[in-house]
Amino acid sequence: MKTLVCIKYVPDTSEAEVKVNPDGITVDDSRFSFDINDADNYAVEESVLLKEAHGGEVTVLSMGPKKSEVMIRMALAKGCDKAVRVEDDRVAGHDPLMVAKTLAGAIKGQEFDLVLTGCMASDDWHMSTGVALAEELGVNHASMVNYVEVMDGKVKVHRELEGGLLEAVELELPAVLTIQTGINEPRYAPIRGIRQAQKKELNVVSLDDLGIDPETVGMDASQVVLEKLYIPEVESTAEFIEGEPEEKAEKLASILQKGGLV
Amino acid sequence: MMRGMLMSTEMQTFTEKYDLLGCIQCGRCTGGCPVTVRADLNVRQFVNDAYDEEKLEELARLTEIWDCTACHTCAVRCPKGLKPLEVLIGLRTMIVESGKVEPTVRDALQSVLLEGNPWEKSRATRLDWMEGLDVKVADPDEPVENLFFVCCTIAYDPRVRAVAQNMVKLLNKAGVDYAFLPEEESCCGSEVFTLGEEGLFEMQVEDNTEFLNEYQAKRIVTLSPHCYTTYKAHYPDLKTPVIHYTELLVELLNDGKLTWKEELPKKIVYHDPCYLGKQGGIYDEPRELLKSIPGAELVEFDRRRERSLCCEGGGGKMWVESESKKERLSETRIKDARELGADIVAVACPFCVLTLEDSMKGLGYEEEMRVAEIMELLGELMET
Repeated sequence: MKTLVCIKYVPDTSEAEVKVNPDGITVDDSRFSFDINDADNYAVEESVLLKEAHGGEVTVLSMGPKKSEVMIRMALAKGCDKAVRVEDDRVAGHDPLMVAKTLAGAIKGQEFDLVLTGCMASDDWHMSTGVALAEELGVNHASMVNYVEVMDGKVKVHRELEGGLLEAVELELPAVLTIQTGINEPRYAPIRGIRQAQKKELNVVSLDDLGIDPETVGMDASQVVLEKLYIPEVESTAEFIEGEPEEKAEKLASILQKGGLV
Repeated sequence: MMRGMLMSTEMQTFTEKYDLLGCIQCGRCTGGCPVTVRADLNVRQFVNDAYDEEKLEELARLTEIWDCTACHTCAVRCPKGLKPLEVLIGLRTMIVESGKVEPTVRDALQSVLLEGNPWEKSRATRLDWMEGLDVKVADPDEPVENLFFVCCTIAYDPRVRAVAQNMVKLLNKAGVDYAFLPEEESCCGSEVFTLGEEGLFEMQVEDNTEFLNEYQAKRIVTLSPHCYTTYKAHYPDLKTPVIHYTELLVELLNDGKLTWKEELPKKIVYHDPCYLGKQGGIYDEPRELLKSIPGAELVEFDRRRERSLCCEGGGGKMWVESESKKERLSETRIKDARELGADIVAVACPFCVLTLEDSMKGLGYEEEMRVAEIMELLGELMET
């Protein structure tokens, strides 16, 4: 099994106040902690579990700054074999299609059976990079995967649908799977493992190194324009309906009808 | 495989490392272990069985190794001066190094590595507790008499932040030469050590020693007894002596620098935190401070000082839930306090506050009783 696992370094916005920078399109991240995107952490674990069960090699692929290397080293400590980090400011990182094109450019030319990604990123929540990546690579894909079984030349996976439904599908390899959280229990990367993983290969590459024309993945190529980020205004209106039960029901029905809710 | 890794890095066998042959199997460790009333943990048996290296992996997989609260009762009672609890920590290390730990443990340890605290909080927010206060922050170039180490739990947990906040007010009022460490302060590693992440703990000791040695302080004052005992026991190259805040406050009290604005006509029982008492040897200072409160009556638990009942907050237990459904030791403790007719259970440890208060609320005694850190009480009584 040759597997690639794509991971992203994201801020944890749950513990500090989110403030938009004066430019209106970026966020002040100075008070956030950063870590591997949650769903990607499950993708890493799944890649290592597949390797432990079927042998082979796992390559970590990430696009991000130098400080994200601690996250990559942790993935290597958990059992991934080597890593590629793409660092290039020219990529329009806000557009999942441009990110997918860049990741595909880093993968093309290599033989692989599976590419795993998290099903969504907890910073922009696009849920589309993995699927776009499959399109760019011209291979099959399944999204929101919470079970993987490798068979001869194909995989059987379960996809998590709305309302608790599961869809079981078989895909011919190679394929891209976007992994849902909860598929496994990600392991801990002990510090001694991280130290040992320092010896593993981690290549830092630019668009030029990958032979990608910056024009094809830059701001001009992107059809997504990030116009404005803002904190939604806190609005709360609560109307207490008074009266006898029958009156209350009538008033409520009237409100719902007027609001076009029924 | 796990054991192979352990041996190659330690260059010592498990038996040598924990001096297992020094054990005479007298059973005083298990006989005193507070956890035995609610879990199957038998530390004496572990010390016996761990001698067989073939059995180590099997022993490490037993869930009861995670029941130990590292209270050190076994170490206090051992006539041979051994630390039986560290055998359990050594077994935890084998599990941690395999990566297969509880998600809560995983996240706490990873947070220590990435953000310098086990609470998954951003380092950049470590000093948020200082907001609105006139706090002196330490500078390596400026000599200071009392250099304060705040502790991750006190810095981040809103329930116990008052310990640091009241301390600042008290220090300013008493005119003490002090400074608090800046944002670069990192976890002391107390819980990392007891959770068995040996490699990470070694790294912390190295990094923290280098960081703290940059400061020209007469002494380091810790707010949590976990930091206090960890620095005392595991940081051989720290150039500055470490004290617990209750020691400093007793000095101030004796110098007549602490005065209280009103009486507190309450019955207070003091709970000896394991890390401050059994491990730190500090029993009298907290009591002296409580006795100084006018109008207060200090009463004592039967199980006090060296025999104090553990609250189960140490040993990494903030991140590991016991499987046992039997009464928590903190519940037993609260019930004992109620029988004594205590209005206030006073402690000098952030973990004890959290565990005892949870149990007090769980038992429904919230209206009639209060759990308070000594610094909370003193802050309320301080003349402003």
